[in-house]
Amino acid sequence: MSKLLHKELALAAHPNLFVFSLLGVLVLVPSYPYGMVFMFGCLGPFITVDYGRETNDLYYTSLLPLRKRDIVLGKCLLFAAAQLGQVLISLPFAFLRVRLLPAGNPAGIEANVAYYGFGFLIYALFNFIFLTSFFKTGFKAGWAFLWAVIPATICIAAMEVAVHLPGLAWLDSVKPADLLRQLPILAIGLVVYCGAMAAAYRVAAERFERVNL
Amino acid sequence: MLVVENIRKSYPKFTLEGVSFTLQPGRIMGLIGKNGAGKTTTLKCLLNLVRPDSGRVEMFGRDFRSNEEYCKQRIGVVFGGVDFYKHKKLAQITAVTKRFYEHWDDQAYESYLEMFELDPEKRVNELSSGMKVKYMVAAALSHGAQLLIFDEPTSGLDPVSRDDLLVLFRQLVKDGQRSILYSTHITSDLDKCADDITYIKEGRLLRSAEKAEFIRSFQDLKEAGEQGELTLEEIMIRTERRSYHV
Repeated sequence: MSKLLHKELALAAHPNLFVFSLLGVLVLVPSYPYGMVFMFGCLGPFITVDYGRETNDLYYTSLLPLRKRDIVLGKCLLFAAAQLGQVLISLPFAFLRVRLLPAGNPAGIEANVAYYGFGFLIYALFNFIFLTSFFKTGFKAGWAFLWAVIPATICIAAMEVAVHLPGLAWLDSVKPADLLRQLPILAIGLVVYCGAMAAAYRVAAERFERVNL
Repeated sequence: MLVVENIRKSYPKFTLEGVSFTLQPGRIMGLIGKNGAGKTTTLKCLLNLVRPDSGRVEMFGRDFRSNEEYCKQRIGVVFGGVDFYKHKKLAQITAVTKRFYEHWDDQAYESYLEMFELDPEKRVNELSSGMKVKYMVAAALSHGAQLLIFDEPTSGLDPVSRDDLLVLFRQLVKDGQRSILYSTHITSDLDKCADDITYIKEGRLLRSAEKAEFIRSFQDLKEAGEQGELTLEEIMIRTERRSYHV
């Protein structure tokens, strides 16, 4: 698996994948809809898959001593590495913002525990739809992105709007008691993310086995 | 080395119908047919790039579909030269590629680069067509490939580069350890270097045999008064000839 991920990062990845992963630091911007960070986390992998059509990435990988389904596994690993990397990059800045921007985020959700939980749910939704749609053909990346980004955008918008509802104010909080209350959202997000990636690999690999390259 | 049994693949407007042939060690087999006859589809079916509807491919005594990694460790595939990551340097591509092969030999790779006059610091889009094929051959030989599969490796090459490549092919199989299967519609290349010929016409296998036997079996195409054996080119042209009623 490490060889596959290395190949994805060294040859297949579009430079924007790394730039967009670094945009985890946006949680330090005052009054900004932090849901955009997750949008960038979806855009980076999509751009890389789309770029792969230009670089003949699938053709190169298909000639390596791998099973055809390992091509799908490589892309799943790339998505996970980019998105988890983005979350890890953003974490120190999320801590920092509590000190630097104690007034909170009037534009939308705070970069708190619930925010990361919702982020994993958004990623899970996007990845499952995108990967299973793309690997039906191995080349229609634009359509796969369209099907995946619409529900992901709705979820991001819902997350940003929800915290303005008085009954859900605890979702927008960074108080220790509220952060504890938000922990189940993070746990659910992580479980759903792992489950969605495993399911995306299984379904996409089955579909890709039938694709004529 | 390679056994292909009754490969079938149907598309809406084309069907590959039961292609079968066998390639022995130390042999070069030319897969011929005009454009669109099914040569590339056949090669892609061998490699599971295209999923055949039925049929079986055996490489090195093992079923390819259920031993894909094992078989791919022992083959080198060149589909028209290196046609990927055009803006990457050869050194960057090789650094990734070699990690996937159990028997990659760095020393052999260096010597092939030198032999083929390939500069690892060059980017793919800076290479000529002949150099692209040679890079793929160097990579294949560096992981000890025993079976080399080429799809029209000489098309687009100038006569000198083509001859150079054909000489290389003969050298590669000389020790009897390697075999080459390559598709082409340039029959004069096969006159120079093939041992066996497999001929596909409109998705159907016409004949697969040792070259001399193959040529003899088509001598009924000779016209009255013609002396000597027909060449591969004449065989192909006469077999494919059509008449137009306009």
